[in-house]
Amino acid sequence: MPASGSDPSGQSARDLTHHLEGLVPELETVLAATASDQELEAVRVQFLGRKGRLSGIMSELPKLAPDQRPLVGQIANQIKSRLQALVDQRLSRLKQDKELKVLTYFDPSLPGLTAWQGSLHPITLVTEEICAAFGSLGFELVEGPELETDFHNFEALNLPPDHPARDMQDTFYITENTLLRTHTSPLQVRTMLRKRPPLAAIAPGKVYRRDSDLTHTPMFHQIEGFLVDTDVSMTDLRGTLTAFVHKIFEPKTVVRFRPSFFPFTEPSAEVDISCMLCGGSGQSAGAPCRVCKQTGWLEILGCGMIDPAVFTAVGYDAELYTGFAFGLGVERVAMLKYGIGDLRMFFENDVRFVSQFA
Amino acid sequence: MYLSLKWLREFTPYDGSVERLAERLTMLGLEVEEITRPFVHLQNIVVGRVVETRQHPGADRLSLCRVDAGQGELLPIVCGAPNVAPDQFVAVALPGTALPDGKRITRAKIRGESSRGMICSEVELGLGEENDGIMVLDGPLVPGQDMLTVMDLDDWVLNISITPNRGDCLSMVGLAREVAVEFNLPMTLPDTRVIQDGPSCADALSITIDDPDLCPLYQAGIIRGIAVAPSPPWLRHRLLTIGQRPINNVVDVTNYILMEWGQPLHAFDRGLLSGNSIRVARAREEQSLVTLDGRTRRLLPADLLIWDAEKPVALAGVMGGANSEVTQTTTDILLECAVFNPISIRKTSRRLSLTSEASFRFERGVDQPGSRQAMNRALALIRQTAGGTVMQGIAAHEPHPWQPPRLVFRPARAKKILGVDLQPEFCRQKLAALGCAVDVQDAQAWRVQPPGFRPDLEREADLIEEVGRCHGLDRIPATLPRTARSLDWLHSLAPDTAFRKTVKHWARGIGLTEAINYSFVSSQDLALMGLDRIPAIGLRNPLSEDQNVLRPMLAPGLLQSVRHNMTQGNTTLRLFETSVIFQPDPDSETGALEPSRLGLALTGNRHPEGWPWPMEFVDFADIKGCIDHLLRHLHLPHAAYAPLDEHPICLPCAGITLGGEMAGWLGRVKSEIADHCHVRRDLFLAELDLTLVQRWHAQSRLEFKALPKFPPVRRDMTLIAPPDLALCKILEAIQAEAVDLLQEILLIDRFVPLDKPEARLTLRLTYRHQDRSLTNEEVDKTHQKLSQRLASLLPVRFS
Ligand SMILES: [Zn+2]
Repeated sequence: MPASGSDPSGQSARDLTHHLEGLVPELETVLAATASDQELEAVRVQFLGRKGRLSGIMSELPKLAPDQRPLVGQIANQIKSRLQALVDQRLSRLKQDKELKVLTYFDPSLPGLTAWQGSLHPITLVTEEICAAFGSLGFELVEGPELETDFHNFEALNLPPDHPARDMQDTFYITENTLLRTHTSPLQVRTMLRKRPPLAAIAPGKVYRRDSDLTHTPMFHQIEGFLVDTDVSMTDLRGTLTAFVHKIFEPKTVVRFRPSFFPFTEPSAEVDISCMLCGGSGQSAGAPCRVCKQTGWLEILGCGMIDPAVFTAVGYDAELYTGFAFGLGVERVAMLKYGIGDLRMFFENDVRFVSQFA
Repeated sequence: MYLSLKWLREFTPYDGSVERLAERLTMLGLEVEEITRPFVHLQNIVVGRVVETRQHPGADRLSLCRVDAGQGELLPIVCGAPNVAPDQFVAVALPGTALPDGKRITRAKIRGESSRGMICSEVELGLGEENDGIMVLDGPLVPGQDMLTVMDLDDWVLNISITPNRGDCLSMVGLAREVAVEFNLPMTLPDTRVIQDGPSCADALSITIDDPDLCPLYQAGIIRGIAVAPSPPWLRHRLLTIGQRPINNVVDVTNYILMEWGQPLHAFDRGLLSGNSIRVARAREEQSLVTLDGRTRRLLPADLLIWDAEKPVALAGVMGGANSEVTQTTTDILLECAVFNPISIRKTSRRLSLTSEASFRFERGVDQPGSRQAMNRALALIRQTAGGTVMQGIAAHEPHPWQPPRLVFRPARAKKILGVDLQPEFCRQKLAALGCAVDVQDAQAWRVQPPGFRPDLEREADLIEEVGRCHGLDRIPATLPRTARSLDWLHSLAPDTAFRKTVKHWARGIGLTEAINYSFVSSQDLALMGLDRIPAIGLRNPLSEDQNVLRPMLAPGLLQSVRHNMTQGNTTLRLFETSVIFQPDPDSETGALEPSRLGLALTGNRHPEGWPWPMEFVDFADIKGCIDHLLRHLHLPHAAYAPLDEHPICLPCAGITLGGEMAGWLGRVKSEIADHCHVRRDLFLAELDLTLVQRWHAQSRLEFKALPKFPPVRRDMTLIAPPDLALCKILEAIQAEAVDLLQEILLIDRFVPLDKPEARLTLRLTYRHQDRSLTNEEVDKTHQKLSQRLASLLPVRFS
């Protein structure tokens, strides 16, 4: 190793070149021992810094004969580039080592910082899904009060006082004349009183009946839909409800119309759909189907052509306009859709239940 | 309504399967809910001939019988009935047979004697209620034959749900008519001829009707010299088939005719009626009557009664009086066959909570012109089963004879409604088969007169429904309607629902779980929580005291959900509910306002359980953070929070004000209430007036602000303040100084030393000039000045 402390006056171009070239293997050796960015930086300063080894040799340059200087200067620059390249090489090597070290501790199966998962109630989910299905068919959302007048809930819907059909909807009364709505049908009345045809609307909401047992809760949710125009027939009702059923359940679901009675529609029908568990066969896995009780059908909603008496009550020309209306129970749809067996779970709000519908 | 297939076949020759019948009836709107075979158990009971009987050696009251039950050998059977005797034909349950009460017959030794079967009584076979020993059959019969065949009781029963408009189908005849129409079968009505061999009835009885609107027709017949006794087997078995309990021959006939024709009848003991007159009149003030069920009914003048010359004897159309009941000693009866006003019957029956087969039918309308036939059939059957002489004719008064409505049926209108082009001949034929008189002279507008048994056919729409029903609603094809809309729909008609939806989705997004509670709560619970000062709306007829008032706030329902979850072991809860609540408002059409609310309930862990989250519990900051987050989400300005001195549920509790308006509250639930909910950690509740928030939200406008061009300079200050100095006071004081350069103040640390009553608050103030870079010197100067001001304005010092 040439001593930098030797008498400089005796320096020749050859010596200087020799010194310069000697830096390369020396740096290589020192670099190989560096293990961190800090050590590497120290080595860099030692060799390439302002007061480093290279600068030290270069400071001898003026002592050479002028004609030798350019050649040695050129060599010095080449050496500098090589040294710099060696440092850079080591730097990227160290970086790589560091990355590899991170990989050693990397376990992607460790849990993340997952925020709380919120959930909507299944009633909300199904309501929104149904409203969206009808929304895509052109039905607009309407709303109205849960506490209703007898007029809107009954009389305007062709349910005069002391009509036996009022038995179908056992009512919570507030006063003689006000009550908790027993269905979402008063929204038909309210909407028709506000708007002229053509109209197509959907009204979700809570309804109340004085009934509580395994299959009835005193509060439940309904969705009312209705459409009024000059030329609406029962085929339109069937098409609309078929489209709805196919959107909410499976496209192969069969829809059945069965005559029934509601005071505010004429003709009236109950709509059954083919059982999703047994496919309508009544048998599931060789045993009687428990969902449809072997009938192959599930009752899903009530509907019909709006009774002319309703049109008269809201001041529509019952000869000119025809329309249809339907009402469906949201809990019923949710139970069928998600396979929920117990109606009362809906209002206990057990988080182990609700959070399944995240 | 129970339909017996055998009974049905007396009127129309339906010979298809019971399943097909059920399916077609269901598709006609007569929904069959269940199909049963009531006497099917008799299939396993056989006819036996008692060959010999002798005294059981070990028991006085038992006989040892040897019975030929067609088994190839004589069976030893021990029998306890006193009436068993040789050569009787009896019903034998062989070992292995199950009886209707669930008892299973086995080979047994009874007091040492072997017994290989049981000789049955009517009770044991489900064929009667009186136990007069074993049932003895009329012979001769072939031993071993099954009893179901021998007794001709192999019947199917369909349980049909009848809609309120179809009172006519609450009868075998009515259902038979539907079957005949559906299957194009002939319809034969029962024979209604009656031998009348007594003196004239009309001379013996006068009828007055005080209120013709409540009783358009009253008829009475009289039979003398009858013998009240159990009904003959065929009659008892018929009634048992459809679930009716046989009583005696007179009552059974009236029930039988009610089921066959749908016409309620009532038999009075003529001997217990005073005088020779029947009056139909309302109750007097303070009147009461003991009905057949032995209960005293307090009556109102609105209730209609049947009176004899002195006293009321029946609650018209609902139930007879105990004072004129037919009993074993009755010899003469007066048979009532009347028509009453449906509304009046319904009011009385509902008020008294007394529904009978009769009132159920009167409410739905009975066949006034057809009632005479039902009456005659009943008189003939009573004569047949109880003997006696029927007086000539009947006493009748009909102030309002039935008038058939005259309807128009336009085939074109039917097409418009049903969307199906039905053949006119099909429509005519079906309407006629349903009993209507149809005149098609005007092909565009037929004249149609419905029959008396179809009071529900009142308008053209009803006729259209009938032809649609006969065609089959399920055969109507599906098309999609055009949904034309007008421009005025562009303004949402459901702004509240839409806003609640926004809030619900926000809540799910920040990890809250939705609860839906009942709208009613218990007034007692409200009182216990001190919430009874909030005006609330009570239900007039609650199901229970637990649900007797409409909730005036969401908190009670949420507390109930918390409680339920705690009992299920769910100790960490992050619940929300959005719903309307109810406030009395005399100016509202419905007497109430229904503003929307958002309720929150937090308790337990702050973070999901497990590494890498730290284990912490929620506190006030968590629930306040939710409210702040929502307001931010809705682009609303910050709300102000100030302690509420008194709150029924929470302590401490803070009020939330939004633009100076009270918008809700939040806080930690008081221990006694939390304990009641079984909560172990602190429970935090909040309730926000969403209607108010919605109004603010509707007014808020999103507006872009230009990005700053020059860099900010930040300076921190740490104030030492007394614990009761609210942060908002400090912030207000700083803002009041109106330092132009000050852009933002952020609390970055708060430290409360354990040993001193003080709080150390570190604020980070951001200074910026709009048009140039600030120098450190000028910011330092401003910041210094501000600190000095604060020290002079507030009880704070700086560290
Ligand atoms: Zn099924």
